[in-house]
Amino acid sequence: MELTTPGVATLRRDPDQAARDAETADAALAASGDGRAFERLYRTHVNRIHSLVRRMIGPDHADDIAQDVFVRAWTKISTFRGEAAFGTWLHRLAVNVILARRTTLGTERGRYDDSEAALDGVAGRAAAPELSLDFEEAIGRLPSGAREVFVLHDIEGYRHDEIADMLGIVPGTSKSQLHHARMTLRKHLRE
Amino acid sequence: MKDRWTDRLSEYLDGELAPNERIALEAHFSECGACRQTLDELRRVVARAQALDDRPPTTDLWPGIARQVGVGAVVSLGARRAQRRLSFTVPQLAAAAVAVALLSGGGAAWLLGRRGTVAAAPSTTAGGSPAPSVANVTDYAGDARYAAQVADLERALERGRGRLDTATVHVIEKNLGIINRAIRDAQSALAADPANAYLNLHLAREMRRKLELLRQAATLAGARS
Repeated sequence: MELTTPGVATLRRDPDQAARDAETADAALAASGDGRAFERLYRTHVNRIHSLVRRMIGPDHADDIAQDVFVRAWTKISTFRGEAAFGTWLHRLAVNVILARRTTLGTERGRYDDSEAALDGVAGRAAAPELSLDFEEAIGRLPSGAREVFVLHDIEGYRHDEIADMLGIVPGTSKSQLHHARMTLRKHLRE
Repeated sequence: MKDRWTDRLSEYLDGELAPNERIALEAHFSECGACRQTLDELRRVVARAQALDDRPPTTDLWPGIARQVGVGAVVSLGARRAQRRLSFTVPQLAAAAVAVALLSGGGAAWLLGRRGTVAAAPSTTAGGSPAPSVANVTDYAGDARYAAQVADLERALERGRGRLDTATVHVIEKNLGIINRAIRDAQSALAADPANAYLNLHLAREMRRKLELLRQAATLAGARS
């Protein structure tokens, strides 16, 4: 906002900021029980959240877990303080839900399998034309530890220290898993 | 072919190598085509990852979510009453308080001043009939749960009014008047510009302020009983 004449304000607003403000308002309304405001938030973010779940856990449980993310968001929305964008808050909540469900689903077992065999197994499938995978499918075939780190770092933009904190590992392991994932996936992008 | 640098290429790509290691690796690139090629391939992987599109679920998840959280579904009157009672739980009132703390500020005063020149947007048409409803306005103003919360708090305040001293009642009424005027102004302005994100935010902010003021006043009245 800038003042051009005493007492007369001209509002200049960044469209992205306006969208964030509208989401903050919807979050406030949802916190007081407004289901329509919460549905607007759902419509805005469902694609990103569902894609995150699908990439982290796989397609089989994606609908169930994505739904759970939004149910959890509804119950916890009063803790959203507007310090970050609502999408950032929701995304972090989603990661927590996913990691908790991962334990239930048993996918945590062996997720930090660094062995060449585990990673080569992913690449080997791509070598056969009839089993050619698209990039998303190739991500899905990574060992779960490498997949989680790759999704969180290269797709979602988290830093290694944040990932280490979320996954309960050291940053060095996060870096190592990321490199293994990239080295495996590069084979899928070769002509 | 792997050499001692192969496993450091991602760190190089991400700018995480120490300066002396980065210089050494860059010197290595001049004589190692395999590392240069691998680095290019890793770059493509990262670029591909960042270009991935988010895809929607194959079925709309909202009906299931709405059912679980108790919104947007057809419910019995008894269930609605239960929901309304639930809407007065401490966490939700605390949520309203948080929202007010987040959203209240100088904007209301600014907008009130600004609306002084344009808030004459008519609430009725020239013929005297009601103005057409506007989606954004009715989204908030027509919210039955919000109206129910306000009405319940107003009743609670009215019941405890006698326990408050005159000066407190005066302050509460004065502030409620200011907030009500801000709400009316925002609704009028939104009738003329329904897509205005700032006005929508402002309206939500004022409605939250009203809810919080009523809550505090009702609590105050109850606390002195």
